[in-house]
Amino acid sequence: MVKGSFSVRLPEFARTTTFRWTLAISGAFTLCVILMFVFVLGEEYSYLSSDVDRLNSENARLVTAETKENRVRRLNEYLQNDPRRVKLGGLFDSDGNRIAGNIENLPATLQTDSSPTDVSLIRVDAFGRDRQLARTIAHRLDDRSILVVGRNVQQFTWIVGVVRRALTLGLIPALCLGLMAGALLSVRGQKRIDAVNRKVQRIVDGELRERLPTRGTNDPFDKLAVLVNGMLDEIESLVRRLAGVGDDIAHDLRTPLTRVRVSLERACQKAGSLDELRASVDKAIVGLDQSLAIITALLRIAEIEHSRQVDGFRDVALADLVREVGDLYEPIAEDKKVDFAVKAKEDATVHGDRDLLFEAVANLVDNAVKFTPQGGHVELSLLRKGNEAVVRVCDSGPGIPIGESDLVMRRFYRSDKSRCDPGLGLGLSLVNAIVKLHGFDFRISSGPGCVAEIAGRSADA
Amino acid sequence: MVLDEATGLTRAAAPLCQLENDLGQHENPAVGSPGELAMSRVLLIEDDRQTADEIVAELVDRGFQVEWAATGIEGLDKARIGDADVMIVDRLLPGIDGLTIIEVVRQEHIRTPVLVLSALGAVDDRVRGLRAGGDDYLTKPFAILELIARIEALLRRPSENRDTMLRVGPLELDLISRTAKRGDRPIDLLPREFRLLEYMMRRKDQLLTRAMLFEEVWSYKFVPQSNLVDVHMGRLRRKVDGSDEQPMIHSVRGEGFVLRAPA
Repeated sequence: MVKGSFSVRLPEFARTTTFRWTLAISGAFTLCVILMFVFVLGEEYSYLSSDVDRLNSENARLVTAETKENRVRRLNEYLQNDPRRVKLGGLFDSDGNRIAGNIENLPATLQTDSSPTDVSLIRVDAFGRDRQLARTIAHRLDDRSILVVGRNVQQFTWIVGVVRRALTLGLIPALCLGLMAGALLSVRGQKRIDAVNRKVQRIVDGELRERLPTRGTNDPFDKLAVLVNGMLDEIESLVRRLAGVGDDIAHDLRTPLTRVRVSLERACQKAGSLDELRASVDKAIVGLDQSLAIITALLRIAEIEHSRQVDGFRDVALADLVREVGDLYEPIAEDKKVDFAVKAKEDATVHGDRDLLFEAVANLVDNAVKFTPQGGHVELSLLRKGNEAVVRVCDSGPGIPIGESDLVMRRFYRSDKSRCDPGLGLGLSLVNAIVKLHGFDFRISSGPGCVAEIAGRSADA
Repeated sequence: MVLDEATGLTRAAAPLCQLENDLGQHENPAVGSPGELAMSRVLLIEDDRQTADEIVAELVDRGFQVEWAATGIEGLDKARIGDADVMIVDRLLPGIDGLTIIEVVRQEHIRTPVLVLSALGAVDDRVRGLRAGGDDYLTKPFAILELIARIEALLRRPSENRDTMLRVGPLELDLISRTAKRGDRPIDLLPREFRLLEYMMRRKDQLLTRAMLFEEVWSYKFVPQSNLVDVHMGRLRRKVDGSDEQPMIHSVRGEGFVLRAPA
């Protein structure tokens, strides 16, 4: 048997933290109990011995104090009244022969006139002959005889025995109980963890609908499971939303791609001249460009939504930005015969990325000009409301139907009324992404026409 | 897309369908003066064979000498020789990354202009590409004419001349007094139009795509949804080309614009 193979084959529960802790605590507990008993025993022993020593020397003194003749009588008196057979005493002559008392012979290890010692000696009395352990002192008397006085301390051994039995009877079951509890707890914990592991494995395998098991007991483990389940809900809804976006992409890409396919197919079969063929190919390229533009716009939105680069933010003077957007779109509005007014009398500064904010405002104006019919008007203005800087784009277009103002910020959402107008349907969700990145507010409301506002805390307020 | 087709240059997309031969030479706007750029050497470092084949075929058709490297290591070896007039470098390459190639080449003081190609369109990426030493950046997928236009722009990069007067045919632009004239007729230009015309005059006879103009003249990083550039160009054109004058600003349908002296 190799030592290592044992540890490898430890049962599952024995390897859990719970079990190891139980083991450690049980060990510490046992050690404490043993130490406590040892201490109690030690104290008891020293107390009892000093008591016995006092009694012994007192009695020895009483015997010694008698005249030589009376010593035997005195000793016998002392030994007489002893139902528990604990009193020991003996008088020996200088050669060690017994003169009186109940000790059979002078123990060889016993030193006279020294401190009390524990000696094993043989007791002889009316009840018989026994070996006893006794705490004993010995004195050499004036006539060279030796007086031995002792007291049976067998009770110590008995007490030690009791304690040992108590320990065995008490500690071992306690220890076993502890270990069993530990094993049980760890098996239970292990079971829950195994259940969670299985679920997690299923989730990893793509079963996003799975949830961790909960018992409603509100214990920490349950709380954790509830927390994780909440997280899973969020992830699942995100994934669904993404999948929805995927469907939208598929839908919006399918339209231009189908047109491309049809026109190429027709050209292939019907084109009578090179010019006709070229016209079809040109149309096809326009269609493909549209599809690519959709993809680019989507990537752009994703890029903005995922960027966390707030450290690139600077102070942006909005009046300047608004005028610049105005310059950029003024010819477009004029071409479309839409009246375009730019109002930025008061300046306001916000903290942000100028390029992105420009893009957002440009998109709003782009939208407004696009959806406003000929002869209508678009107004781009910069206002201050308290410490808020507001860029507002109003137009006299069809506006946004009530209940759709949230929808328009979604990707690809295009009001049914405007399905036939050009555009990618991504403009407002791009604006929304940029505004969110800045922590600004994006509000769309319907007056007559459409009112879109980007509102941010001005940095100079 | 509503584009001005008045110039009769609607066949510009023709090379894409390999129908170039039946076009008059002057109608190929991307190569305004063929002799000037023909025989320019192009080093193409691109790992996708099909893309590379398309680019090579198109460039060879236009008289360029093209060398193609399919891996980063091969590309770096060829780039270090430094005999190319312009390099087209894909960002993601097996072996050595495209940006690393550019950095190494620049460290060796080879100043060959580089056009970076990338499937990654993020603005950050563009900045990183240019910072590594690239001169221009194009996102895949791209129109082949956009690529050609940018290559030619890199090859003919206007020298930093200190002329304060630009002339193309009868058109004159005074950079000091900020005035423009066509023959004796003064042209009144807004600041943005002035910058646009200056940019075009410095690059006469070159195809300038919308994206190039938007990046360079307006210096915006996003692609507008509307035909912004076309509208601004339309205004400039009405000012430059009078009704009884020969047109100088030509639009190339679907691609961009060319400024050319009247024949």
